Amino acid sequence: MDRSIYVAMTGATQMMRAQTEVAHNLANANTVGFKAQMSAFQPLQVLGDGMPSRINGVAQGTGWDMRSGPQTDTGNSLDVAVQGQGWLAVQAPDGSEAYTRAGQLQLTPDGVLTDARGNPVMGDGGPITIPQSSQIMIGNDGTVSAVPMGQGPDTLSVVGKLKLVNPQADQLQPGNDGLMHLADGGTAAADETVQVKSGAIEMSNVNPSQTLVQMIQLSRQYELQVKAIRTADDNAQSASRLLQVS
Amino acid sequence: MFSSLWVAKTGLDAQQTRMDVVSNNLANANTTAFKSSRASFQDLIYQNVRQPGGQTTEQTQAPTGLMLGTGVRVVGTEKMFTQGNIQTTGNALDVAIQGRGFLQVTMPDGSVAYTRDGALKPDQNGQLVTSTGYPLDPAIVLPPGTQTVTIGNDGTVSVTVPGQVPPQVIGTLQLADFVNPAGLQPNGDNLYLETAASGAPQIGQPGLNGLGTLAQNSLEASNVNVVEQMVDMIETQRTYEMNSKAISAADSMLQFLTNKT
Repeated sequence: MDRSIYVAMTGATQMMRAQTEVAHNLANANTVGFKAQMSAFQPLQVLGDGMPSRINGVAQGTGWDMRSGPQTDTGNSLDVAVQGQGWLAVQAPDGSEAYTRAGQLQLTPDGVLTDARGNPVMGDGGPITIPQSSQIMIGNDGTVSAVPMGQGPDTLSVVGKLKLVNPQADQLQPGNDGLMHLADGGTAAADETVQVKSGAIEMSNVNPSQTLVQMIQLSRQYELQVKAIRTADDNAQSASRLLQVS
Repeated sequence: MFSSLWVAKTGLDAQQTRMDVVSNNLANANTTAFKSSRASFQDLIYQNVRQPGGQTTEQTQAPTGLMLGTGVRVVGTEKMFTQGNIQTTGNALDVAIQGRGFLQVTMPDGSVAYTRDGALKPDQNGQLVTSTGYPLDPAIVLPPGTQTVTIGNDGTVSVTVPGQVPPQVIGTLQLADFVNPAGLQPNGDNLYLETAASGAPQIGQPGLNGLGTLAQNSLEASNVNVVEQMVDMIETQRTYEMNSKAISAADSMLQFLTNKT
């Protein structure tokens, strides 16, 4: 039997998948440090007997949109936004080092500096622990200084330095924890040139109008695929009518 | 069946929560010493449809895979403990805290709660209480016939009574500070409760050891920035609309499927 009905079905299924991705990007339009996911359709030839005339379209992730999102001032001293290229290093739940740009940092009761998800933020030598302090400041180069609890402002001292890295974009690979990992599983070296700004956060880089247009386009393409299923069905019906012996 | 419906639903949920937070902030724009909250989001786990780095042939690997996100969730609502404006009221029993620290109040069950609302009043026994009527800890009792009350920057409370020329010191207000004030649990009535995340209170005299100073005749206004909240509200509303648009797009795809085949 003709495979065009299957080709159309594959198309429709893949459109649904791509629509899920669009919905995910839109749902995260306000998530701090979120990077939009991208995918593209890849042709995949249908193998088999006969002329090679059928091509399936298969959605293939093409990574994340690495552009920076807009920055907003929050005035909160534990919020950091990476300026330009670069990433904050955090310890992923599985213990490996991972990278993020979501700089809404927080403190645990034990004084461990974490990101909003609760992953410890990496410093020069492992996670940063801040002794009980009344004031915490983060400098442009990631230096964390603090005034110990119960002391005057003259006792400000450096307690650590955020590990800021800037690996090549093609070395980074998103994990299913929403953090970036190095493709070879290694750790990136600290890069002194990466700058952060305290009191600001980087918003999501989802472009809403582009994403909405993408959504409309996928809907229409889906309708085309469904139409193609219908046409393939009609063709099959006419063919069987012709062959009917009556 | 169709995951984009559920993904878009998580977006609606998250924006709705954010709207709750924004409207609570706006509702408390004039509440003494109110601290605004913000909702923070994170993306949910990813569904691995095609593994990145899978072998495409013996020598080559797929550079990327297909990972479908499953939406967004609110990971927390965080109080922003920035200083509110100090407003002069002229009332001798109004104290504003400039800098870090909380006044301690004794709750009816004997536990201690923390507040930055310094609108104090004497109760029928002359004891200083908050607007809700909870006594301050340590207790300050105004002697009968008190004419003037002076509260110093360091918390010293002194009063003058008829027949006595020099003012007499009747007590000292103390402040409690927390390592992580954002971890305190807001309890309504301008009160906060200690939690495991906030750490234990460090009690001390105002103005010493990094604690804030007290300003008599003043109150701390809420730190809600109304303009920022309005912008947040617009942003929330638009994101909500986009997500509902995604739901209707997914729905019309399904409708088309059932009608046209």
